[in-house]
Amino acid sequence: MGKEYLGEFEELVLTMVGILAEDSYGNAIVAEIKDRIGRDVNLSAVHVTLYRLEDKGLIKSHMGGATNARGGRRKRIFTITNAGLAMLRAMKEVRMDLWKLIPQLKIAGS
Amino acid sequence: MKEPLRDPPPIPLRFLEWFCPPALYEGIEGDLLEQFDMDIKAHGYKYARRRLVLNIFKFFRPGIILRNRFLFQLIDLIMFTNYLIVAYRNIRKSKAFSAINVCGLGIGLAACLLIFQFVSFELSYDKFNEKFDRTYRVTNDRYQNGKLIQHGTIMYPTIGPTMAKDYPEIEEYTRLMPGGELNVKVNDKNYRGDYCHFVDEHFLSVFTFPLLAGNKTTALKDRFNIVLSEKTAKKYFGLTDGNYTDIIGKTLYWGLDVQPYTISGVCMDPPPNSHIQFEGLVSYSTLISAEESGADNSWTWSDMRHYLVLKPGADYKALESKFEAFSEKYFQGDKVSGSVEKFFLQPLKDAHLYSDYEYDIARTANGKAVWAMLIVALFILLIAWINYINLTTSRAIDRAKEVGLRKVMGAVKSQLIKQFIFESFLITVLAFVFAFILVITLQSSFNQIVNNKFSLATIVTSLSSGNILIVVAVIIACVILSGFYPAFILSSYQPAVVLKGKFQHSSRGHFLRKALVIFQFTASAALITGTIIVSRQLLYMNSADLGIDIHDTLIVQGPELSGYDSTFIQRAESYKHALLQIDGVVNAATSNNIPGNRLGRSFGIRLAEEPSSSHYTMSNMGVDYSFFDTYDVALLAGRKFLPTDHKVNFDDLNTVIINKNAVKLLGIDSVQNAVGKEIVWGGDGTRKWTIVGVVGDFHQESLKKPMEPMIFRPSYGANNPTSIRLKTADTQKVIADIEGIYKNFFPGNSFQYFFLRDSYQRQYNDDNRFGKVISIFTVLAIIISCLGLIGLSSYTAVQRTKEIGVRKVLGASIYSIVTLLSVDFMKLVCIAALLSLPIAYYSMQNWLQGYTYRITLSWMLFVMPVFVVLVIALFTISAQVLRAAMSNPADTLKYE
Repeated sequence: MGKEYLGEFEELVLTMVGILAEDSYGNAIVAEIKDRIGRDVNLSAVHVTLYRLEDKGLIKSHMGGATNARGGRRKRIFTITNAGLAMLRAMKEVRMDLWKLIPQLKIAGS
Repeated sequence: MKEPLRDPPPIPLRFLEWFCPPALYEGIEGDLLEQFDMDIKAHGYKYARRRLVLNIFKFFRPGIILRNRFLFQLIDLIMFTNYLIVAYRNIRKSKAFSAINVCGLGIGLAACLLIFQFVSFELSYDKFNEKFDRTYRVTNDRYQNGKLIQHGTIMYPTIGPTMAKDYPEIEEYTRLMPGGELNVKVNDKNYRGDYCHFVDEHFLSVFTFPLLAGNKTTALKDRFNIVLSEKTAKKYFGLTDGNYTDIIGKTLYWGLDVQPYTISGVCMDPPPNSHIQFEGLVSYSTLISAEESGADNSWTWSDMRHYLVLKPGADYKALESKFEAFSEKYFQGDKVSGSVEKFFLQPLKDAHLYSDYEYDIARTANGKAVWAMLIVALFILLIAWINYINLTTSRAIDRAKEVGLRKVMGAVKSQLIKQFIFESFLITVLAFVFAFILVITLQSSFNQIVNNKFSLATIVTSLSSGNILIVVAVIIACVILSGFYPAFILSSYQPAVVLKGKFQHSSRGHFLRKALVIFQFTASAALITGTIIVSRQLLYMNSADLGIDIHDTLIVQGPELSGYDSTFIQRAESYKHALLQIDGVVNAATSNNIPGNRLGRSFGIRLAEEPSSSHYTMSNMGVDYSFFDTYDVALLAGRKFLPTDHKVNFDDLNTVIINKNAVKLLGIDSVQNAVGKEIVWGGDGTRKWTIVGVVGDFHQESLKKPMEPMIFRPSYGANNPTSIRLKTADTQKVIADIEGIYKNFFPGNSFQYFFLRDSYQRQYNDDNRFGKVISIFTVLAIIISCLGLIGLSSYTAVQRTKEIGVRKVLGASIYSIVTLLSVDFMKLVCIAALLSLPIAYYSMQNWLQGYTYRITLSWMLFVMPVFVVLVIALFTISAQVLRAAMSNPADTLKYE
């Protein structure tokens, strides 16, 4: 996994897929990002990112059941794969390691 | 709220469906619709719809679309490789056919590219001017006694200011008068051979010749100001650093003028596609003496060219219609200038290609010829494409089995069409490569013919994006069209029939194929006729009896630094005398103009016995007494000028010679009766001259122009060129001798000479160029048509191998078989040749209209091309046909 990197937005979407679990599809992710960090993101950007993550094998998708909402269209539900989880965890750890290297005095001082 | 309003708009969704990969479509559409529903609840229908449309467009991005292509390609890629392999095998299998296709198309494309370079340059004239589409040239027709006597661009200096004052739709005007040769002295060095114009201070605002130094608005205001072109500035001052500001304010001396000219600006060289060309610009006010502004207010001094810039949106036709009243108001019929003046406006875009004016400073070319060349080039391309279509369809039978098998394996028609269009695309690409190689190798010779510096690079960079789109669209359309018909034919075979092996010659498409061959040869035959007629006309113009002898005539430019004084005639006489002493010089004469140039006109000539209200117009020329002998002009009555006719003082001259046309114009019944009559010419209608002789008409200008009434007066002038008739084997030595004498008589002046025939023939440059280009293209058209014919005939021969074998076994002679095989083709070529006749006749008749003196179109001129086409076609197919006819039936019949 060492050679693969994730962009900031990719990481954000991947995390959201992890959070939303069984109910993660395009619109839900947009709404979740808006709710949790107050950031307006574009639906198409989310979709493109989801497909890219799927190409990388970090998430997988299947079609949900038909409902009466959404004009009868099914949802494409994304779920995070083990690889995706490992990726997220690895990124978090790297970041924490780096975080620890920052002299703590600075924070106290500012 | 009504229910239908809640529905999402269908068109954007259909758009989404079109570009979105099917696998992703449902999920994306569902998300969009969900959001749409939520938006309706939160913000209302309008907002929701707007946001939906916006979102759909946001999905139209590479991340989505490319995903689409990838899936799509995955399926087609396999077939695509197969198409490529099959196409490659096919090209290799039939090398001759492929070569014919590629060469034919390539030659056609190359011809098109070359001609396109030329045509787009010719059409680009003056477009660099910022006010291009609002600039108009004023032209002036003059009538006397109800007849058009001058169709020119020259008029009076008052026209511009008066029009600008009277008509508010005129934004600005500028006046221009050719200043002639710029023989200047800069820092005690003499320069010669550059040309300048007198222009007023608006010139640099009307036309876009950016100044590299100096002030645009004031540079041409003051008297004795001169603006140099970049090239001239470099030459005169040896500038290399491009710092032109340094020379502003420096002075130079022009000709014999004692007043120094101040350099007030340096402008960029006029681009080659400007109809106005110059090396220097002198301020208009230089022409007007400071004490009296009479010249500026003149309604009779007619040397000014005028250009108007109209305000945006102004209709020039509407303005033009007001000029009749203008003419009546200021010229009162013919009372002011001696002729009835009519004014017109010519859009600047027509100045280069559609000008037939006298005293025109414009660089002109024949617009019709330019378009004709373009059409010919397109025809060649068409012929080449027809070849491709014909050869491909005629060979369709070879591919029948392949098509049948593909169909059995499940190929649908659209796939087969795709395959064959792809093949034609491949051939076209190869042809393009070939065409580019051809263009690159032929570029320099083509440039020589059209006398220009073209290259592929300049043409590509000069194309506007709109033009590129057109070119690309044409290419794509052609690929599809040329590929479509064969593809359609091939893909429609029934596999059951084809694979059973019963499939034989199909008669379908025969008619079309024949029609296409007829079209090809019609075009070729018409081109041949055209070429023959054009070259005959050129030959005629180059060899016609001009009424004067211009062969072996050396023109030596007059001395630029010697002034006229009371001793000048004496000096000129001894100069001429000295020239005649040279072994090889037969005769010498000086005149104020030479054959080939437009002469000045005098508008107020009449017989002394007529009332002063009558006016006649003649072209005038000042000649010395040996002029008519030197040029071998026939004397019809009276005498030629004698040395005694020359007078030191211009006012003492009183003898003239006129030509036959002038006698006719004056209404005198015979040339004999004209001699001795008095005419009134100049001096405000009072000066009398006696006609002492009448000479024959001669072609002062090219055969495109009519011979005009002419009047000659005896004259010596300081700057008159000398015409020297030579008769020698060693021209170089004689010229060196002449130079020695010239330097002796006119020390310090530069010796410049040329042969009259060369300068006279230069009037036909445009025509010669057209002739050359058209003949090259005719040859190309014939080559391409013949390539097609070779392909078709050899194919037919192969198809009929067995038939020929059977016929031979049954006793047919080689002769009868040759006839059998060629008669089909010859019939087509005959029809084509006949069809070409009316086309060629009409278009050539039209072309010849441009020449006042032209060849008559005899029937021989039309029969010959028919014959030529038949012979070429026969020759082309003979090789194939003979081979088929001579083949041994034992060889051809043994396989069954």
